[in-house]
Amino acid sequence: MSTNKLEARALTKRFGDLEVLHEVSASISEGEFVSLVGPSGCGKTTFLRIISGLDTADGGAIEVDGRAISGPGRDRGFVFQSDSLLPWRNIFDNTIVGLELAGRMSPEDMARTRKLLDLVGLAGFENYFPRQLSGGMRQRVNLARALAIDPELLLMDEPFSALDAQTREIMQGELQRIWEEGRKTVLFVTHQIDEAVFLSDRVLVFARRPGRILEEVTIDLPRPRTMATKRDPKFVALVDHIWKLIEHDVRESVLLEHG
Amino acid sequence: MSNEKKALVPLPFISSSKTRSGRVELEGYQVAIISVVSGLIAWQFLSDFIIANSLFLASPTQVVEALVSLSLSGELWAHVKTSAFEFILGYAIAAVIGISTGLLIATSPFWKSWLQPWISGLYATPTVALGPLFILWLGIGIWSKVLVVVLLVVFAVTINTEAGIRSTSERYLEMMRCFGATQRQLFLKVSLPSATPFILAGLKLGIGRGLIGVVVAELFGSRLGLGRLIGASADSFNMPELFAAVAILAASGILMNSAFSNLETRLVPWTKD
Repeated sequence: MSTNKLEARALTKRFGDLEVLHEVSASISEGEFVSLVGPSGCGKTTFLRIISGLDTADGGAIEVDGRAISGPGRDRGFVFQSDSLLPWRNIFDNTIVGLELAGRMSPEDMARTRKLLDLVGLAGFENYFPRQLSGGMRQRVNLARALAIDPELLLMDEPFSALDAQTREIMQGELQRIWEEGRKTVLFVTHQIDEAVFLSDRVLVFARRPGRILEEVTIDLPRPRTMATKRDPKFVALVDHIWKLIEHDVRESVLLEHG
Repeated sequence: MSNEKKALVPLPFISSSKTRSGRVELEGYQVAIISVVSGLIAWQFLSDFIIANSLFLASPTQVVEALVSLSLSGELWAHVKTSAFEFILGYAIAAVIGISTGLLIATSPFWKSWLQPWISGLYATPTVALGPLFILWLGIGIWSKVLVVVLLVVFAVTINTEAGIRSTSERYLEMMRCFGATQRQLFLKVSLPSATPFILAGLKLGIGRGLIGVVVAELFGSRLGLGRLIGASADSFNMPELFAAVAILAASGILMNSAFSNLETRLVPWTKD
């Protein structure tokens, strides 16, 4: 049995002739924050969806805490790119939905959900509806909803990509703060390299056609990281290094898709 | 800690106050009221001076007089009561059958294939034309009218209910599946609430159709009802009474529609922005 929180072995996925993932393996240890970066079409989101159980792999195996998984489960919380909040439920009812589906609505569960909303900075907004909230606030609910089921593994699929640049900066800092409180194991997909470096202990750099891991970059910057960290020469060098790794692929994907 | 963070995020739900220019700006509802009042004045003018013949047109004041005298004699109440009873009964039956059929065909491909041709065909058919036949089958009493109302309302409700369930956003379903939702939970907690605006729209559509059903079915043959009143007034060239009956139908249609809009604002507020 492995001691890792997540063990993915030789995951392969095809869509027709296209090999989206080619024998991708990764191990994530407990409490680690790992980001996946790469050009569009490199399979990083597909990889995350297979871990979540929303998609199935054509080959390979996944273990969470040494248990083989197939299909979605409440040991993994998913933070979606679009917040997918149910418009007819208020913020509290949206946050608790995972527990509700599991039939866990005890006073303790409710109290814990309230504390989570407080943690993401939304105390007092329990009775508001999603349409009354800004994009940044909705993503906070999205995060609180995933944390509410107290998952072993938190999977995040480009959660800040729809936000404007300033809100995004703030949300990165917020995510770091929230993560420091609980130290969940996180797998974070992004196409923004500086976001990945800022948040992560380790960055898995993906290449495309076929999707595979090009390099694992360990980020040994001290925590907590601040806005100043982003100007640290070491930070800049890491971003630069990762950019050079994927530059060729990114140019190619841009030409293919827009040329 | 969290207070300063909150302040960094703008709150879009605080609406900005309306800008004021020097000129007099009328609100939408004020324009609407002026429109209706001028329409009534034009009608009064037309029937007093242009078509001043009560065999062809009754003026608003004559209609009001007819309404007063009909209600004083108690005749109006008997007609209204009969028509209302027919409408409510038919509408309720159609709502129950329509919603359940819609849910059935939205969730079962077999039943959809089986029932769809009938639903599409009968929805497009002017089933009011079968009114005389229903009188032969069910007699001249209320049930032949109830059946016409049911047929006119039920398919609109069915089609909307099915469309509502079918148009459930895949994003919501996927999110709920990710949190381990069962098929039953997906239906009850996602598909049904997300179809509610569509179901209400179908029911709203059914109001107008149901009113048409009552009147036309009564015109084919009845002892009481607003359709009967219209038919009898037309036969005796009593335009004020004819318009009085139409006015009551119009008023009840408007009333029910606005009550429905009110219901929508309260039940499905997320669609009203």
